[in-house]
Amino acid sequence: MGVKAVHRITTGRNGLGAFILQCKKMDFHYCDWAGSSKGMNGFIKSILPKFAAAHPQIEFTVSPRPSKHPVIIGHYINGRDKAICVRNLEPLQILKKVELLRDASGEKLKKVTKPVQSINESVRGIWSPYHGNGMRV
Amino acid sequence: MSRALLRSALELRTPITRLPPPFLLPIPIRPRANALTAAPAAARFFNQTTQIVDPPIPSSILADAGRTPTQSPTAPAPTAAPVAGISKISAALSTQIPQPPPPARTSTEPLSESVRTLLPLLAAQPGHYATAHIHGRPYLVTAGDLVRLPFKMPGVAPGDMLRLTRATAIGSRDFTLTGAPWVDERVFECRAVVLGTESEPMRVLIKKKRRQRRAKRVESKHRFTVLRISELRICDELVAA
Repeated sequence: MGVKAVHRITTGRNGLGAFILQCKKMDFHYCDWAGSSKGMNGFIKSILPKFAAAHPQIEFTVSPRPSKHPVIIGHYINGRDKAICVRNLEPLQILKKVELLRDASGEKLKKVTKPVQSINESVRGIWSPYHGNGMRV
Repeated sequence: MSRALLRSALELRTPITRLPPPFLLPIPIRPRANALTAAPAAARFFNQTTQIVDPPIPSSILADAGRTPTQSPTAPAPTAAPVAGISKISAALSTQIPQPPPPARTSTEPLSESVRTLLPLLAAQPGHYATAHIHGRPYLVTAGDLVRLPFKMPGVAPGDMLRLTRATAIGSRDFTLTGAPWVDERVFECRAVVLGTESEPMRVLIKKKRRQRRAKRVESKHRFTVLRISELRICDELVAA
């Protein structure tokens, strides 16, 4: 019976050390003809250049998608993507959606009940009734 | 051709006719009323990622030792001006949390004797925790923890660094420094990185009354700011100086 090594796998903790934005790419699809793309076309003309210049870590692609509603698709580091249909929205409403995609982590939405998640060991240890001075009843 | 021109004119006019939200306006509207950042800053652009770096505390503050042993280590400075964010919180939640004193940020009072002797021992132990308060709620954090706040924090972008200056307790395995109610800001440095905004699955509530066919569907979806505790350090070199 030999000595067994403790098997440990490191887990990424974004922000501890370096921070990496989870959104890596955004696709903007528009239609030149349809009225539901009116706001999207205005967004691409007026707001998107500034937003893209402010976020060099995100790859932006703009491509036509004729006779369909306008769509923004965000691609994330974990391999997932999020798509938002922005039909009939104003440019500033679309900016809100774009910021939502930028801030998202790419994970599936889930309900979290505990506010703090930790993988560290407990600092003060686990209480034991067999140690310490005990308590007189 | 003229139709295309007209349409492009319409599209370009859209952002101009409507006033953008206040955080997009290039004028500073108000200082950020945020209790947990070190320094108040003006309203920010969505593309502005400059960090707010607080000035270092001169070590000469702590050098003199004209203290009384019975004095609380976290006694606030009487000359400190109240922060707008804190006073707002106390007004909103006065039924639940005690009235916070004016912040001890610019406090020049020396630390008490017990803190000066025991803080190096606390700092020497390997693991540390802090009970940091954000908007009146306590979060027991260690370095590397993920905190999902129960609200969406306004005015922050992913990658921003926040300094958490309100803590009711810091400690290690055998030592705990509890504040009355806050631990002195000079003895610890807790920083958090904003990771982004998360959401939850849509909550659907069906409102239905008896003997009535109408059913109302109420939907809600909350947004939460996620922080990573990037640093939790006990500043014992100030005591040693």
